[in-house]
Amino acid sequence: MRPAFGRPLAVDSVLHRRDPTVKLAVLLVICLVLTGVTDPVTPGVLYLLTWPVALRAGRIPAGTLLRAHLPFAAFALSLLLVNACTRSGELLARLGPVPITVEGLSIGAGLAVRTLLIGITSVTFVLTTDGARLMTSLHQHVRLDGRFAYAVLAGYRLLEQLPESWATIRAAQAARDASRRGRGPSRAPRALSRAAFTLLVTALRRGERMSIALETRGLGAGPRTIAAPSPLQVGDAVLAGTALVSTAVVLWGSWQAGTLRGLGALGVFG
Amino acid sequence: MSAGTTSRCRPITLHDLVLLAVLGVVFGFLYWVLVQLWGWLQVAMGPLGDLAQNVLVGGWMVVAPLAIYIVRKPGVGILVEIIASIVEVVFLASPVGPMLILVGLIQGAGAEVAFTATRYRRYGWGVFLVSGLTAALANLLLGMVRFGWAGQAFFELRVLFQLGSGVLLCGLLAKLIGDALLRTGVLDNYTIGRAARSARAAKTAAGSLQTDSEVSDG
Repeated sequence: MRPAFGRPLAVDSVLHRRDPTVKLAVLLVICLVLTGVTDPVTPGVLYLLTWPVALRAGRIPAGTLLRAHLPFAAFALSLLLVNACTRSGELLARLGPVPITVEGLSIGAGLAVRTLLIGITSVTFVLTTDGARLMTSLHQHVRLDGRFAYAVLAGYRLLEQLPESWATIRAAQAARDASRRGRGPSRAPRALSRAAFTLLVTALRRGERMSIALETRGLGAGPRTIAAPSPLQVGDAVLAGTALVSTAVVLWGSWQAGTLRGLGALGVFG
Repeated sequence: MSAGTTSRCRPITLHDLVLLAVLGVVFGFLYWVLVQLWGWLQVAMGPLGDLAQNVLVGGWMVVAPLAIYIVRKPGVGILVEIIASIVEVVFLASPVGPMLILVGLIQGAGAEVAFTATRYRRYGWGVFLVSGLTAALANLLLGMVRFGWAGQAFFELRVLFQLGSGVLLCGLLAKLIGDALLRTGVLDNYTIGRAARSARAAKTAAGSLQTDSEVSDG
């Protein structure tokens, strides 16, 4: 089951019902804290803890979650390889001319596991959060400027139409090119970049029509009421508390066990 | 509609904001595609793979100078980069995670410095070149903090790639895209279109006085 482009899963779950601003804030705090952690064990434990949350509380099918891992996994693998090969330290092995160091391997593993953790939490957030409700909630709770919220929502509508516009432009290219009849549009970089530019122009034109429509309806002229407010409930506090406390417990446990390691190991600034 | 030169004093309108959102969405989508390609390219390049991001980095910042070029108001570069990063994180689940919003803020600010220094009045190739350089420098500092680049081998090569990519893929490419968009007429109702019209009008007025041998470069 692959959800629509930029859309949450069409099911109801505990995580779907929580306020989007609270979810986003929790996600930001955890990721910011984890940026200061470079050992592989601490984010590894948190990563394993996130799986049951996504499966049970978010009702995300295991297959969907696993497939969403593909880009993160590639990213994590490259971080591991690069750090293992390019950091100085105690020599572990040699791959041809490339030395692999113990320090590099452990820092690389830390960054790689952290990427997996950030990836799984981001996917869980996206698959359980409606974009329109997030902007409404941000407008309501963080006092985000209404004009900004309308503009982003207008852009969000455009985002949903992008794949369709792209297909139309490519079909038009194929129809005009008589030499490629029956073989689909050209895949040459020149043809692709022209299609990308056309996509940009089409999007800008559509955006201008949208902004005129918004202004005609008086949006952006002053404060407005909210049609479907997103109230903060006890459940939101429980969610934030549970997530932050369990992160803190894992960090404390890792510190007690002696596995926690901070930014100092990276050699920031030389 | 006639005043194209006093743009600095006017606030950002809804009209401008929707344009920024559209730019943010289209480029957020393109950035996301670039991230997917980059992940696989890194693996394919093996031990040197991490330098791939320094080669590509300018491509991730190009929307900031482009937006400033079109709207010509302070803060626009930062705003559009933040919108693009929000689109990537919130709607497309980028593997980089919510840190990307902070990255967008820093890259946007880096690109904006060059235009702030000229008080949003000059849009020649030189200003775009400097904008690409400052954006790449801001991003370099961030990478040193986030990934400890200074502690790795190839640091000098990394800096070189980073600055070259910033100048070519961020600064100069933004000017190219902006000029191409201007020629399509889609930007006629924005500051860049008004400025081009008043420049053309001034040129024809001057041309009618002198012998018209000048070549306009729209």
